[in-house]
Amino acid sequence: MTLSDISRLFFSDGWLQALAQGMVKTLGISLGAFVLGLAIGLVVAMVKLKGPRWMVVCANCYTTLYRAVPELLLILLLYYAGADLINLTLAAFGQPSVEINGFMAAVVVLGIVQGAYSGEIIRGSIESIPHGQIEAARAYGISRSLLVRRVILPCMLPFAIAGLSNLWLVLVKESALISVVGYSELLTAGRQAAASTKHYLLFYLAVAAFYYLITLVSSSVFRRVEVRFERWMPRHA
Amino acid sequence: MKRTLLITLQACLLAGIASTSFAADKLVFGIALEPYPPFSFKSGKGEWSGFEPEMITAVCERMKADCSLNEMSWDGLIPALKSQQVDVVLNSLSITPERQQVIDFTQPYFFTRALWIGDRSMELEPTPAGLKGKIIGVQGSTTHAAFVKKYYGETSTIRYYNDQDDILADLRSGRVDIMLADQLVVEPLLDNPDNSMLASKGVAPLDPLFGDGVGAGVRKGNDALRERLNVALQSLRADGSYEKIRERYFKSDISALE
Repeated sequence: MTLSDISRLFFSDGWLQALAQGMVKTLGISLGAFVLGLAIGLVVAMVKLKGPRWMVVCANCYTTLYRAVPELLLILLLYYAGADLINLTLAAFGQPSVEINGFMAAVVVLGIVQGAYSGEIIRGSIESIPHGQIEAARAYGISRSLLVRRVILPCMLPFAIAGLSNLWLVLVKESALISVVGYSELLTAGRQAAASTKHYLLFYLAVAAFYYLITLVSSSVFRRVEVRFERWMPRHA
Repeated sequence: MKRTLLITLQACLLAGIASTSFAADKLVFGIALEPYPPFSFKSGKGEWSGFEPEMITAVCERMKADCSLNEMSWDGLIPALKSQQVDVVLNSLSITPERQQVIDFTQPYFFTRALWIGDRSMELEPTPAGLKGKIIGVQGSTTHAAFVKKYYGETSTIRYYNDQDDILADLRSGRVDIMLADQLVVEPLLDNPDNSMLASKGVAPLDPLFGDGVGAGVRKGNDALRERLNVALQSLRADGSYEKIRERYFKSDISALE
């Protein structure tokens, strides 16, 4: 294969654009799932640290279960069984069934799995805050929500950020699992390109390059975020 | 006040009726996202082409319907039909008794036989005795998979794949000894220089498991749509439009078994 073949495939045949669109979808799913996972994780962490006993039991069940079962299985379960469950419930109330939007399903499924991991990271990070800081805040009579927003979250972030950035990178790759339910993210776009043109090696390598690009960019973003959040931390060295 | 309420209600009702009758002419066709040339394949610009996308366009023209394609994995087509995500599947779906229990079919719009493909240098007799202990590759959730499972399941090892191309790749690297696939799809692939070490090992015998041709699937009980599709398919055949589309993708007649 010559360079002109490659440029024809990528540019005039438009496969580069197809892959780029796939990458945008991969990023969309990952970002949505990451935000949802953080929200779930925050709630789970709060429940585990301060919630009533029965809620703690539920939260423990959730994090154990979702970290024990393979993601691929969870995706299949939540996507197919979840869709059936929603439609059965709707049918029981006499409502017509709804179409499960591929993007939303991907975000929800990955977000729920992410929530289990980020919940543990956030819980660990909150426990790493020197207790005196929280007590000091309480001594000033600070309200509960303000305590969370102004003290716990900012103090926790430097401990959490390394774990969370790791989680993000894993998530980007995990989003490729969504291709099994036929959502056209980066890997699916690559497979379609490979199958339609019969140039497997070329397109799989191109897909790998796209994932590498995402990792490269997100690593540098996280490095900046880390520097910013750690600006209050004492520096050793 | 009561009057205005009544009028508003009537207006809403009318609008509702109007929108449903409009919606009835909007049809969503499900298509497997795994390219299956020459039946369906995708361009880099994201457009589908091939025998079936052209048939869909032609059928929709006849029915004067506003059609769109919904891409999903092959496994998900029948579930999507049942859960009303799509209205029609016109995508190489063979008419089998098993599938007829869950969906309804139109009349068949083409027929195809199943072909065995194996290594050119290997002597293979594609009978259950001849393939004893061999590894057979088939695409999952297909008539080929059902056929192989029934007659070869006890004596040979069967490997299921999501994609025809993955079986060919494994056949070339020797991880699979023989594959069973759609003759119309794999025969052209044998001309590809990459597959020069592969050769046909014969056509599989006719069997009820291969179904009764390939038809368009609709939801069970959706007889109105099924009839409209049948009428459209018939008129395409009657005026030769079907033949024109067929000629672009296949050398031989596929509208009946030879």
